[in-house]
Amino acid sequence: MRPSANIIPLAIVGLVVTGIVGFLVAIIFISWFSNPPFGLGNAPAQPIDFPHTVHAGSVEEGGVGIACEFCHRNVTEGAAATVPAVEQCVFCHQQINPENLVASASSSADQAQMQLVVDKFNDNDPINWERVHRIPDHVRFVHEAHIRFLTEGQPRTVAMPMGDGQPRQLPLTNQQACSVCHGDVASMNEVQPTGGQSLKMGTCVDCHRELNVGTDCTICHK
Amino acid sequence: MVTSRIDHKWGMVVDLDRCNGCQACVIACQVENNLPINDKNAFLQNRAYEWIRIERYWEGDYPNIKARFIPVMCQHCENAPCEPVCPVFATYHNDEGLNVQIYNRCVGTRYCINNCPYQVRFFNYWHPNWPERLQNQLNPDVTVRTRGITEKCTFCIQRLRRGQIQVERRAGGELNDGTLKSGNHMPACVQACPTNALTFGDQNDVHSPVKPYFEDVNRYNIHHEKERKTRGYRVLEEMNTKPNVIYLKKVDPNLGGGHHG
Amino acid sequence: MKLTRRNFLAWAGLSAVGAVACDVIQDEELSLQSPASLPEDLVKGRDNWYATLGGQATDGEGVIVRVMEGRAKKIQGNPKYPVNQGKQSVRSEAGLQALYHPDRISGPLQRTGPRGSGQYRSIQWEPEALDILRRELRARSQGMVLITEPLRGTLGMIADRFATSAGGRHLGFEALDDTTYRAAIKGVFDQDRLPDFDISNANYVISFGADFLSTWKGSTRLSTAYGEFRQGNKRQTQGSRGYLVHVDPRFSMTAANADEWLPIRPGMEGYLALSLAYVIISEGMQAEGVDVDALTNGQGAAALAAFAPEQIAGQLGIPEQLHEGKSAAEKIRDLASNFMHHGPSIALGGDSAGAHTNGQFNLMAIYALNYLAGSVGSGGGMRFSPESPLGNLADAATVGSAQDWAGVANDIRSGRTRMVLVHDANPVHGLPASMAFESALNREEVFIVSFSSFMDETTALADLILPDRVFLEGWGDDVPEPGPGYEVIGMQQPVVNPLSDLDPRSFGDILLSMAQEMGQESVLPWTSVEEALKSGAEALYNTGRGTSSHAASADDLWNMMLRQGGWWDENARGPVPSAPGGLLNNIAAQAREPGYSGNGDFYLLPFAHNTLMDGRLAHIPWMQGVPDPITTVTWQTWVELNSSTASQMGLREGDIVSVATDAGSISGVLYPNPALPPNVVAVPLGQGRKVGSEYATSGDSRESSNALDLLSAGHLTESGGLAWAGHRASVSGTGESLKIAKFEGIFPARQIGHTAGEAVIIVTNH
Repeated sequence: MRPSANIIPLAIVGLVVTGIVGFLVAIIFISWFSNPPFGLGNAPAQPIDFPHTVHAGSVEEGGVGIACEFCHRNVTEGAAATVPAVEQCVFCHQQINPENLVASASSSADQAQMQLVVDKFNDNDPINWERVHRIPDHVRFVHEAHIRFLTEGQPRTVAMPMGDGQPRQLPLTNQQACSVCHGDVASMNEVQPTGGQSLKMGTCVDCHRELNVGTDCTICHK
Repeated sequence: MVTSRIDHKWGMVVDLDRCNGCQACVIACQVENNLPINDKNAFLQNRAYEWIRIERYWEGDYPNIKARFIPVMCQHCENAPCEPVCPVFATYHNDEGLNVQIYNRCVGTRYCINNCPYQVRFFNYWHPNWPERLQNQLNPDVTVRTRGITEKCTFCIQRLRRGQIQVERRAGGELNDGTLKSGNHMPACVQACPTNALTFGDQNDVHSPVKPYFEDVNRYNIHHEKERKTRGYRVLEEMNTKPNVIYLKKVDPNLGGGHHG
Repeated sequence: MKLTRRNFLAWAGLSAVGAVACDVIQDEELSLQSPASLPEDLVKGRDNWYATLGGQATDGEGVIVRVMEGRAKKIQGNPKYPVNQGKQSVRSEAGLQALYHPDRISGPLQRTGPRGSGQYRSIQWEPEALDILRRELRARSQGMVLITEPLRGTLGMIADRFATSAGGRHLGFEALDDTTYRAAIKGVFDQDRLPDFDISNANYVISFGADFLSTWKGSTRLSTAYGEFRQGNKRQTQGSRGYLVHVDPRFSMTAANADEWLPIRPGMEGYLALSLAYVIISEGMQAEGVDVDALTNGQGAAALAAFAPEQIAGQLGIPEQLHEGKSAAEKIRDLASNFMHHGPSIALGGDSAGAHTNGQFNLMAIYALNYLAGSVGSGGGMRFSPESPLGNLADAATVGSAQDWAGVANDIRSGRTRMVLVHDANPVHGLPASMAFESALNREEVFIVSFSSFMDETTALADLILPDRVFLEGWGDDVPEPGPGYEVIGMQQPVVNPLSDLDPRSFGDILLSMAQEMGQESVLPWTSVEEALKSGAEALYNTGRGTSSHAASADDLWNMMLRQGGWWDENARGPVPSAPGGLLNNIAAQAREPGYSGNGDFYLLPFAHNTLMDGRLAHIPWMQGVPDPITTVTWQTWVELNSSTASQMGLREGDIVSVATDAGSISGVLYPNPALPPNVVAVPLGQGRKVGSEYATSGDSRESSNALDLLSAGHLTESGGLAWAGHRASVSGTGESLKIAKFEGIFPARQIGHTAGEAVIIVTNH
């Protein structure tokens, strides 16, 4: 039997196997180094187009400059930032136009969205927001403790693995503190999980170790 | 600001003379810690589990018969037999006296379950399923464990952590008996127990109600058991696992020929 | 296939590439719901804990509920609430699963098929559903019956007034009704409210039949007291541990915890109690200041001569082994002298002791002992709570007796009652089959409206279903009974809103709006329960007492009540009754031996299930999955027989046995219980549901039966309650067997730390 007769199918099998293995390796590498993997988990479609630019954007830029913690009320007090009740949307918009809630939004497109909010409120229906930022289910991240670290205490410079990796001058304002991880939400029409933010365990541990916060597994894992 | 940490060593005392076997702790634990619903099938296959369970033992024969109740939960041993056998270091002893299980490390070898003399580690044979609406109840502070990993009592570490952040990190106070109670940071079973059979506290805290019992039982080891001043004992003490749970013996005035009156 | 960590590991294992950390992500984590509005955002802070009441399952505990992002997560005892002081019963958390139960009725339904067929169509509240209700009320309200769970407080008052003003009546439903107990308390103490027992300060307690550590009224409060009774801080230093004697033909949870358990022939509890009274009087042991002459019309011990231990000891059936080597009569004398010499002492009774043809006599005889022991109104004794501080609040539930229900069934059959309103009560399951309540309701002439949140046997017969909000979603209040000895009003507030796919409406609000439309504004002037509660709070503010004395205004008081869970005034104590003249003569005159229905070999003792009660919590999976404390059985109806008796009959654990009485027969799984008296068969209530949630109805008829079907509807106590403990039954194997779903044995029984004597210390004197 001449060897050349079998070399072609063997080569094909070899190539296919190499291809599959290479493909898997590539997937794993990309998943490991890109965040979010393959761009999955980018801004999901929300039930209502809530423009953070209008609400949280500074007055100079045409927003109304509401502080983050005004709506995400629990963020300085507990683990979860929490999404505000529909009641809170209505409460503010009532101040703008007590007669007609829907007219409290300016453009007609916005009014259409506002109508949705008003309907939800009247029906006593919650708004099912889609989660944008998420950490794994087995990790406990306490917003309050981190915000306190970033916004309180003596002036100091701390190397921060989060964000651009540059050392930061602490304390920060609340809004600056939020943007360390969440990016400049006030300038996002649609909230995106900000690129470049690594949510790997090493990021957390590095910082905890550097600042002597404790690295017992149960500090973060629940 | 990062402040200095306060050293804790948590411990529990179970008074068997108070326990009446009502199972309130069992359900409180199940609710707090997202335990899967024990359906009938789980019982029929001997795979039902509870992080804290009430064991019932018969003693004597009718009509001189007694039922004894003993709540059994993870004993958080200092010399835990479960820890050295874990090939992936998913279980270890932390500096607060807790035996900790890190779920995302666990690969489900079940070595720890086999090595635990107290039978308080449990394996998830099934993916936990709740009807969609019941998922609203799940506690966001506790991981929902998937199929294939081991889990056990944590002394409600999520409550202790919440307490540490609220009381120690934020307010600069100390997590002691008073603040554990007032801030609702006691483990769910301790909080629920209608007869106050379960007591929880910090063995390092001089005012903690558990301290005298731990001191007494530590001072007189198993060979000097008779000299103990309290009713305290450790379960399977002869194995020297050094649990952070102490039991107080039940009192029975009618045993051993003694009669009431 | 969704990529989860487990799947990923499985694939990684197959392709031998290696594991890469991937996250456990639960679907529920991916979407967030924000509540439409947070109820009364009074508690600022991290997770919100709201104070409210624990609903029907807990018989009026005060609870706090953890709410995160509009979702209730945990129920705990309210530490400020005087009744349960931060503690909770095993049934407290059931409310969470009721709230998020997959089988909740989502909105109004109208029957389309024949009655009982389960064919319904969804309708709108406005105008359809309420129009039907309005129309039928106008046409049929005369003689109608409103059947609810036992209701107190504002809702009890609204139900009472609504039913009366519409020309009908309101009755609370409980399968094991407390009418006999109430009648006995009325007879001995002339009180309309049930007493509380200061067990924590007592040294000696004799309990007759009352399973007060498990399912009896106020069990959480009494359990807390029991803990103190055993090893309270004061007792540890003084070494005085409380001593509990439990007299009960069944080995209940309370019997298991007693220092001495005396199995007695069912129904003879009253004889034993009077015998104790005889010994106390004849030996002059009564407490100081007790006027024996007044109690016995001057006859002294002679009034009870017929109950001298020597006369009756032989009839009590207490096993000889428990006589401690003495005669049965001496044993009784010992018991009496211990009861008197180790005070403060309490005698309490209930449950099976009161469920006999002589039940009221039994309970009256038992409670009369408290006069002799001087423990009425004293520390370490029994005490009564005052009436509601607001005259119009119902401070005791109106519960119907078996006789009342038979009357209701007759009224429906005769056409006098043409409309039945039902709210969270299930009399079709909870009344003995022999009463044929189902066939009474199953008639075209009657219009049935159910306000229940879940489908059950009674609701399945309804023409119109108008689901109520569950207690975590609605307003209410409660005057706890038994109360803590002073004035308390508990507040129930909505802590979450109903989920968006549910559309329940408050039962109280519907009754109020119907009353207004029927021109009854004068009796029910409020438009909603909330408004009624607010007007109550205003009246409380005007009293200026208790919590009100700390409030700056009526609004302030309202907020305080919501924050702390109610209103109370520790200075407003209850009455201390004094004994009616000739009480013991009267009781002795009522004495008669219990009558048993049927002729089986065994005394049949049904009992309320530790978690399912009479079946009202059978749809809650947590409650089904909690092991029974004694047998550790779950999800099934078990039949308890003494182990030796069972083996003599050739029966083994798991055998399907049939239990039969004159009234009917059921089957269940045998659990040989080494502690049950050989002549007793005990069967828990709670299972045997045929209609409703899958959790309640999944068992087949061999392992899930309703013990109430064994009872004879005409076998009554003196006060018309069901004599449910006075039946005789026969037990036979069916040849089949099933694996018993029990917790015992899942973990190898190595009697942890319990080699003989290790976990028990022996004290030789008390």
